[in-house]
Amino acid sequence: MTKNRLQNYLRFCFQNNQSFQDFWKQFSASYCVTIPKWILASTKTVVLVTVLLICFLPMLPGLSGLLLAAFDFNPLLNQFHWSLSGFVRLFHFPGIGQSILMTLNVSIISTFLSVLISFAILKRWYQSTHWQKIENAIAPILALPHVAFAIGFAFLFTPSGFISRLSFQLFDIILFNDVQIIKHQLGLIIGLTLKEVPFILFMSIALLKQLNIKQSFQCAQSLGFNKHQVWLKIIFPQWLPKMRFAIIAIMAYSLSVVDVSLIIGPSIPSTLPVMIWSWLNDSDLNKHLMAASGALVLVFICVVLVYTVIFIEWLLLKKWVSWQFSGRKTLTTFKGIDLLARIGLGNLGIVSVLLMSSVSLIMIVIWSLAKRWPYPHILPSKWSLQFWQSELPYLFDTFLTSIGLAILSASIALLLVLVLLHVNNRNNANKCNQKRHLLIPLILIVTPIIAPQLSILLGMQLASIYLGADNFYLWVLWSHVFFVFPYIYLSLDGPWRSFDQRFNKVGLSLGKSPFFVWRSIKMPLLMPAMSIAMAVGISVSLAQFLPTLMLGAGRIATITTEAVALSSGQDRRVMAIYALLQTITPLFFFALALFIAKRTGPLESRQTFSGFNKRDSLSVSRNA
Amino acid sequence: MNNLKINNLTLRDQQGNRLISNLTFEIKAGEVLSLMGPSGCGKSTLLHAIAGHPLNDFDVLGEVSLNGKLLNSIAVEERQIGFLFQDDLLFPHFNIWQNLAFALPDSIKKRQRKEQALVALEQHNLLMLADKNPSQISGGQRARISMIRLLLAKPRAVLLDEPFNKLDQQLRQEFRQWVFDLIKQNSLPVLMVTHDQEDIPLNAKTIIWPTNLSSILKEQEQIC
Repeated sequence: MTKNRLQNYLRFCFQNNQSFQDFWKQFSASYCVTIPKWILASTKTVVLVTVLLICFLPMLPGLSGLLLAAFDFNPLLNQFHWSLSGFVRLFHFPGIGQSILMTLNVSIISTFLSVLISFAILKRWYQSTHWQKIENAIAPILALPHVAFAIGFAFLFTPSGFISRLSFQLFDIILFNDVQIIKHQLGLIIGLTLKEVPFILFMSIALLKQLNIKQSFQCAQSLGFNKHQVWLKIIFPQWLPKMRFAIIAIMAYSLSVVDVSLIIGPSIPSTLPVMIWSWLNDSDLNKHLMAASGALVLVFICVVLVYTVIFIEWLLLKKWVSWQFSGRKTLTTFKGIDLLARIGLGNLGIVSVLLMSSVSLIMIVIWSLAKRWPYPHILPSKWSLQFWQSELPYLFDTFLTSIGLAILSASIALLLVLVLLHVNNRNNANKCNQKRHLLIPLILIVTPIIAPQLSILLGMQLASIYLGADNFYLWVLWSHVFFVFPYIYLSLDGPWRSFDQRFNKVGLSLGKSPFFVWRSIKMPLLMPAMSIAMAVGISVSLAQFLPTLMLGAGRIATITTEAVALSSGQDRRVMAIYALLQTITPLFFFALALFIAKRTGPLESRQTFSGFNKRDSLSVSRNA
Repeated sequence: MNNLKINNLTLRDQQGNRLISNLTFEIKAGEVLSLMGPSGCGKSTLLHAIAGHPLNDFDVLGEVSLNGKLLNSIAVEERQIGFLFQDDLLFPHFNIWQNLAFALPDSIKKRQRKEQALVALEQHNLLMLADKNPSQISGGQRARISMIRLLLAKPRAVLLDEPFNKLDQQLRQEFRQWVFDLIKQNSLPVLMVTHDQEDIPLNAKTIIWPTNLSSILKEQEQIC
C-alpha cells in the first residue's frame, strides 16, 4: 500500500513538473501518515508485547492459577470439577474468623493511623525551620528494610527487650508481661504504622512542593483563615487525592504482609496471610486447597478495601464537599480534631518515628556484637565478634546470591522500563502516530504493588509447577523482575516526563541519529535518576521474602529469607547479624547511586554538593 | 470610616541593614496610595509586613493600625486586610463559586453561601463561570474572580501587589479601572505596589522608591 502511494506520488509529481522539494514534502507527509501505522506501530507493538509478557504476564497465571486452585480444579491430580470445599474448609478452620478480623484490624487501623499521623506531622512541621532536617532524615529511614525494622522493633518490645530492661532498671517495673505488644496485633499495628509514616511523608514532599503552599497560606490568611483552618480546608483536600496511590499501597501491604507479621505479629491465631503461608508449607494437600481459597479471600478483601479508600475520599472531597467552604469555623472547632492538635500528634508522631527507627537500628547493632546479654542488664555483659566470624562462611554465600539476584533483576527491570518509557512515552506529542499510541495504563504497571503479593505469588507458583519447577532460579529472577519493575518505573517516570524534549530536537537538527542523540544527550542527562532508580530496584529485590521462597521452592536463600527464618529461632545475635546486613546492603547501593548521581547529569547540579541528592530525584520521580 | 495608618515602620534584615526606615503615612477610605519602584527593592516585603505574613529575613519595627486599632500583635487572618497578589491564586480544588463561597464571612450559613457566591458573580456578569474550574477560564476572568473573592471576605483595607502585572495591555486597562471603581464603591483604603507608572490612578498619592536602599523616602503628590 505504501509502495503504491509512493508510485502515485512520483507519477503525480513528475507529471506536474514539481520540484523535488515539493515532492519530498508531500512524501514525508504521507510517510508520516501511512508508514507508522504499519512498520513503526508494529515494532512498537512487538516491544510492548515483549514488556507485557515479562512484566504483566505473571498476573495472568497468578490470577488464573489462583482461581483454579481455590475452586479445587487441579489437572495434575485429574480433578476436572469445580468445588467449594476449599472455602468450606477455610471457614470451618478454628480461629479463622478472629484471624480475618485481626487482619482487617491491622490493615485498616495502621493505614488510618499512618495517614493521620503523617498529615499531623506535615501540619505541625512543614512550615517550620526544622522541616529540612526532617526531610533529610526521612530517606534513610525509608531505606531501612521492613524485616530489619521489625527485628529491631522486636528487640525493643519483647518481654525481655530493651524497654522492659530499662523500665526494670529505672522504675523497678516489669513491662510487657501482662500486656504483650510483640506477638500481638497491637505490635503489628504500631510497627507497620511507624514504618509507613515515613513513606507517606516522603511521597508528600514532592507533592507539597507543587502545591504552592506558601502563597496558598498567604492568600487564605488574608481572607481571614488561620493556619489550622488552611491546612484542613485548603491543603488537605488537595493532598489526599494525590496520596491515593500511596495509601492504597500501604493498605495492601499491611493486608498481605507475611514477613513482618511472622516476626512481630500475633501467632495463635495469626493473621490471614501468615495462616495461608503456613498452610502452603504444609504437606497436606487439603491445606494447600485452603491456602488457595484463603488467598482468593485476601484478594477479595483487598479489592473491597481499595474501593473503601476511594469511597471515603469521594465522600470527604466530592460528596460532602461543603465543609471546605462553609466558613472558617466548621469542622475546625470539632472536638476530635481539636483534641488531636492539642495532644500534639505531629510532635508525638515525628518523635516516635525517628526514635523507634534509630533505636531499633542501634538494638540490631548491639545484639550483633553481643556475646552475653542477660535479662535485666541495659548493655551486654560480654561483647564479641565471634558470631560474625562463625556466620561468615554461610553469610558470604547468601550475600552473593542476594546481591546477584538483586543486581540482575534490577538491571533487567531497568532495561524493560527504559524500553517501555521510550515506546510508551506519555509526553510524546507526535501527532503522526497519536492514534496508534498504545498506552499501558498506570494501574496495570502498579498492580504488583497494590495487589496482595501472596495471592499473585500463589498463582505464579502453581503456574511454575505446570511449566517446570526445576528452573527455580529463573522463576525467582522472574518474580523479582516482576515486583521490581513498578518501582523502577515509578522512579523514572517523573524524570522522563520532565526531560526537555527540545534537547532531542536540537540534537536531531544538528544531524545526529536518534540513537546517538539518545545515547549522548538523554542518557547522560538522566543518569542521576537512573542510578537512583537502579538502587531503588536493588533494594526492592533485596527485601523480597515471599517471591524468593515461594518460587525458589525454598532452595534459594537470601539475607532477607534467612533473617525472617532466624527470627523464629532463639539466637538473637545471629538474627541481628542478618538484620544488620539486610540494612547495610541496600544502603551501600543507595550510597553508590548517590555517588554516581552527583558526578553525572547536568553540570549545574554537579557543582554543589547539595545540588543533587537522592531526595530531589526521588521526589521528582515519585509523583507519577 | 476605614483608614490604614503606618507609623515609623522600619524593616531591618539580620545584619541590621535597613530596607525601610521610619516610613509614615496614612491612607483614608477610598484613597489609593501607590508605591513605585524597581522590582526587587522590597516593595512586596513592605506589603507582607503590613498584612502580617511572617518575614523570614526581616524584623518589622513600628506601628501598623487600621481604624485606630493597632495591628502589630494581631494574627494575619484577623487583621481584615485583603491582599491581591500578582497571581490570582484561585484554589485549584474548588470551582469558581466554591472559591467565592470559601471567602464569605462565617455568619452566612449553608445554602446561603452558594446563593451569595452566585449573587456576587451575577453582579459582575460572570454567572456563567460559576461551575467552571479555575483552569478553564481566562486569565482576565481569574483576576476578576480573585478580586471578587477578596471583597467577599469583607476586608477593611486592601493591599495590591502588582496585581496587573501578568495581564496583557488591553485587559490590564479594563481590569485596573474595574478594580479601582470597586474599591471606591466599597470605600476602602488601598496601598498598591507597582513598577508601572500607568497603573497609578489619577490624582493618587505616590511614594517613589529610591533605587538605592537608602533610608530617604520622597513623598510627592503626583500630578497628571
